[in-house]
Amino acid sequence: MTVAELAGRLGGTVVTAAADTGREVCGGYASDLLSDVIANAREGDAWVTLQRHVNVVAVAQLKALAAVVLVNGRQPEPDTVARANEERIPIVSTALTAFDAVGALYEAGIRGRGAS
Amino acid sequence: MHPAAVVAAACAAGLDAVAVCDHNSAANVAATVRAGAAAGLPVLAGMEIASEEEVHVIGLLPGAEAAERLQGRVYAALPGRNDPEAFGPQVVVSEGGEVLGFEERLLIGATTWDLGRVVRAVHDEDGLAIAAHVDRERFGLVGQLGFVPPGLALDALEVSGRTPLPEARRRFGAHGLPILTSSDAHDPRAVGCAVTLMLLREPSFPEVRLALAGREGRAVLGGGRPMEDLSLHILDVAQNGLEAGATSLEVDLTEDPADDTLVVEIGDNGRGMTQAAADAARDPFVTSRTTRRVGLGLSLLEAASRAAGGELAIESAPGRGTRVRASFQRSHVDRAPLGDLEATVLALVAGNPGVNVRFRHAVGGRAYEVESARIVEETGGRSVQSPEGLSLLRRLVRQGEAMVNEAVVQGVR
Repeated sequence: MTVAELAGRLGGTVVTAAADTGREVCGGYASDLLSDVIANAREGDAWVTLQRHVNVVAVAQLKALAAVVLVNGRQPEPDTVARANEERIPIVSTALTAFDAVGALYEAGIRGRGAS
Repeated sequence: MHPAAVVAAACAAGLDAVAVCDHNSAANVAATVRAGAAAGLPVLAGMEIASEEEVHVIGLLPGAEAAERLQGRVYAALPGRNDPEAFGPQVVVSEGGEVLGFEERLLIGATTWDLGRVVRAVHDEDGLAIAAHVDRERFGLVGQLGFVPPGLALDALEVSGRTPLPEARRRFGAHGLPILTSSDAHDPRAVGCAVTLMLLREPSFPEVRLALAGREGRAVLGGGRPMEDLSLHILDVAQNGLEAGATSLEVDLTEDPADDTLVVEIGDNGRGMTQAAADAARDPFVTSRTTRRVGLGLSLLEAASRAAGGELAIESAPGRGTRVRASFQRSHVDRAPLGDLEATVLALVAGNPGVNVRFRHAVGGRAYEVESARIVEETGGRSVQSPEGLSLLRRLVRQGEAMVNEAVVQGVR
């Protein structure tokens, strides 16, 4: 599944214009502790979170994640969008809660791949 | 906590100042400042603000009025109502402990401010913004956001009492910010369980600001847990000698991994005392000191040494100074940690420019030594309190500690 398809499944919007939405999503991870994401997310994961601080982009970049899924209809902070566009990290904003977003992705065949 | 209880606990713990930092509120700051003033204890105004990322930031403020102004802005950004059955009542009290009212906002929650905005709001009131308990996974900056965001204008980082400061400096020192520790007390019994030592002219907010900036000879020295760390027991015992008029002080810390011993010796040329007085000095409630109500140093050192299969001896005579020797079984499971020796040495040397302090730490065959007179000599006659003196001293202790501890690692291999 590509990031563009993922956004469609979540009824969400890609809020980063410069991002590569053709990227393949290989798995999923959900957490709001960035230190935990650094430790446990895997390359190519879609990361479900409500954090919108600019550090989110750095973590997604560091772990080579496919996309960041921002739940509860939250919009990223302006500097987060700017950084994400620079790094070409897709951020998808969805009105779904984290629970429902993960459920929808699971139903679509995306799986977690265990903690590292 | 009741303002009088906070002040009483801080005085009993021998603190020189305490900061009151309720979650997202300053409602009890003014009363605690007044209760402190009545007891001669400086109370700094503060607030622990939760950002929307759930990062906790301590705002230390110039006074209760600034704290109250900041509180007004924080309250406007704080959603939710408290459920007293779930989280307990949020009581606003006077310095005498009368209940003035209940705060109905959910103070345990997070504001809608992002981290940068929290830091700016603190600075708007001329306050100091300190990332709280960065060593903790939850509610700490590094746990919540992975790392310290570049460009965030913090004034300091704080670690909980669980992380010894030498370790904290290794983990978080690269940011170039001073590292503090504090009790984060939510209960009067915990007040003073972790402390930060600073070199100040007096315990006040403007002085703390200078210390965090490392300006005008003020400095953050380090800290730790006064009831547990041997380094702070040593500091306390040494301070007794200084208050007894010593002009020369020697501290020897000798670890022998082969014999499995650790020996602390503290000698001074102060007034000294009779054998009866020396025996009585082990009693925690006997002290000749006037700055604190109790001088726990000797009794804590004795308890720590006994718990680790050792003993404490005091050798003293009127006019001939005092020599304290405490031994420990080094590998004993109950042997207290050394703690922040750097802070102890800095506090003894820089805190007492009129006294020649010599500190020696030996581990196995390796040892290093620092001495006040040599610091003055090597900085071309500058004071041990000068920026050059302080930084040389800090560098020598860090290098020395790294060198003797490397010997320990090799010994284990």
